[in-house]
Amino acid sequence: MNSELSLSQNQTRNLVAVTGVCAAILAVTAILSPDRAWANLFLVAYYLVTLGLGGALFIAMTTVCGAGWNTAFRRVPEAMTGLLPVAGLFVLVVLAFRLPQLGWHHHGHGDAGTFWFKELWLQPKFIAMRAVGYVLLWIGFSKILVSNSRRRDNQPKSSKTNGNTVPSILFIFAFGFSISLASVDWIMALEPMWFSTMWGVYQFSGLIQATLAAMIIACVMLRKFGPLRGVFRDDHLHDLGKLLIGFSCFWMYIWFSQYMLIWYTNIPEETAYFTLRTQGPWGPIVVGSIVLNWVIPFFVLLPRPCKRSESVMLKIAVVVLIGRWVDLYVMIFPPVTGEVPVFGLPEFATIGLISGLAFLLFLRAFKVANPVPVHDPFLEESLHYHC
Amino acid sequence: MSSRVFLATFDHEDDLLAATTAVREQGLNIVDAYTPYAVHGLDQAMGLKPSRLTWVCFICGMIGVTGMLWFEHVSASVWWPIDVGGKPWNSLPSDIPVAFEAAILLAGFGSVFALFAVSRLYPGKHPKVSLPRTTDDRFVLVIDETDASFDVQSIELMLTEFNVVGTAEQILNGGHN
Repeated sequence: MNSELSLSQNQTRNLVAVTGVCAAILAVTAILSPDRAWANLFLVAYYLVTLGLGGALFIAMTTVCGAGWNTAFRRVPEAMTGLLPVAGLFVLVVLAFRLPQLGWHHHGHGDAGTFWFKELWLQPKFIAMRAVGYVLLWIGFSKILVSNSRRRDNQPKSSKTNGNTVPSILFIFAFGFSISLASVDWIMALEPMWFSTMWGVYQFSGLIQATLAAMIIACVMLRKFGPLRGVFRDDHLHDLGKLLIGFSCFWMYIWFSQYMLIWYTNIPEETAYFTLRTQGPWGPIVVGSIVLNWVIPFFVLLPRPCKRSESVMLKIAVVVLIGRWVDLYVMIFPPVTGEVPVFGLPEFATIGLISGLAFLLFLRAFKVANPVPVHDPFLEESLHYHC
Repeated sequence: MSSRVFLATFDHEDDLLAATTAVREQGLNIVDAYTPYAVHGLDQAMGLKPSRLTWVCFICGMIGVTGMLWFEHVSASVWWPIDVGGKPWNSLPSDIPVAFEAAILLAGFGSVFALFAVSRLYPGKHPKVSLPRTTDDRFVLVIDETDASFDVQSIELMLTEFNVVGTAEQILNGGHN
C-alpha cells in the first residue's frame, strides 16, 4: 500500500520554481549585502532543522509516555524528520561562511569576561566540530526512531510495539543537551558578551510550538487530500490543539521569565540583549512576536469548538509558524544587521524558501512509507479514543 | 413536583452507551445516568449541552488578572510608592508574576466552587445514595416516564437487546437531586 498523495507534475514544478526563485533572490542578496543574506539563510536553515528535530522529539516524547492516541498520524512527525539531513547540511554550510566571526573571535582577546574555557569553547574549529556532531546525532537518532517504526509494518502477527522506548529515552537526553549547546553556539554566540541561562529552554519552547503547528497543517492537509482521510479524526485535532495552546503559554512563560530576570537584575552585560530589542525600532516587532505566538493562539484556542475546527486550527497554525519566524528574526537579526530592522524582498524570500523546502522535503519523506503504521498495536486505540 | 422514572441497570459501559443512544433515538427523555466512573462518550450519547463551567473559569481568571494588576499598580505606585532597585513605580513586568498567579488561583477556585454550588454540594451534606451499586460495578440509566406514550413493556423489550440486567420504576420527589 503506497500513499495516494502526490502532487501533480505542475504543482511540484510550481513549488520547485517558487523555492528556486526565493533561493535566487537570497543568492543575489549574498552578493549585495552578505551579512543580511547570511542572517536570512541561517534563519531558514535553523527553522527547518528545528522542525525536523521537533518531529523526532514528538515521537520520542509520546513513545516514552506510552501514548497511543497519536499512532494514527505518527507517520507525519516521522516524515518531518526527513527534513533533518538536508536542513542539517544547510546549517553546516551557512555556519561555515561565518565561522571566523562567530562568537569569541568576533571580539579580541583580553575583553572583560574572558577566561580560558570560553576562549577554548568558542574556537572556530571546535564550534565546527561540535556543529557536525550535533547534526549527526540528530540524524542518527531520527533514523533509528523512524526505521524501527517502519520495520514494524512488515511484521503483521505480533502484539509487540516497535521497540522505540529505549532509543526515545536516550534521544530525549541527547536532545536536551544538544539543543541547548547548539543554540548557544549558533545564536547566543552572535552576541558573545551576552549570556542567558534560560536560553536552552527558550529554544525548546519555540521549537515544540512550531512543530505542533506544522504537524497540524500537515495532518489537516493530508486528511483533506487523501492518505489520512478517515484516519485523522477531530479528536486528534482537538488534542493537538490542546498541546498547541499549552506550548504557546509555555513559550510566553519562558520568554517572560528570561525577560523579567534580566530586567529585574539590571546588570549591564545582561540587559544589552533586551535594550537592543525592546528600546528601539525592534520594540514593535518583539510585541508582534508575542501577539503571534501567544495572544492570538491563546484566546482563539480556548473554546473547545475552535480546537475541533479544521479551518480555525489551520489559521492558528499558520499564525504560530509566522510567529516562529518573527521570534527567530528578533533573535538572529539585531546583532547581524544592526539596530534598525530590515525587512524587504530577501526576508520575504526566506518565508517562501522555508515553506517550499519544508513542503518538498516532507512530501518526499511521507511518500516512502505507509501513510499509517498499519500493524502498530496502538493503532486501534488511536482510531477510537475519545479525547 | 414528583415524576415517575424508569431505571435500567447494565453490567457493562458499552451496553449503557448503546442503550443511551437507542433510547434517545426513540425520542425518550433521559433524566440522568449513574456510573461508577466517568464513561467516555456518554455525554455525547446523552446529548448533554457543553458545560458552562469553562465560562466561569475564564471570567474568574480574567477577574484575577485585571484585579491583581489594578491592586499592584495602585498599592505600589499610587497609595504607597516604593522605590525597588531604582525601578519606576509603575513597573509592569514586576506585576506580571503575581497577576498570573492570581488568575490561576481565582480560575481554579472559581471553577471548583461554582461546581459545588451548581451540584449543591456543601460541607455536612448527607449523601443520598439510592442506587448503591452504581458506586461499584453497575451502570444505571434513568429515563423519564411522564410522557403518556411511555410503554414500559416495549422499552423493556428493546433494552434486552443491550443486555439489561434489571429494570425498575420509581417515583422521584422534588427532582432527582
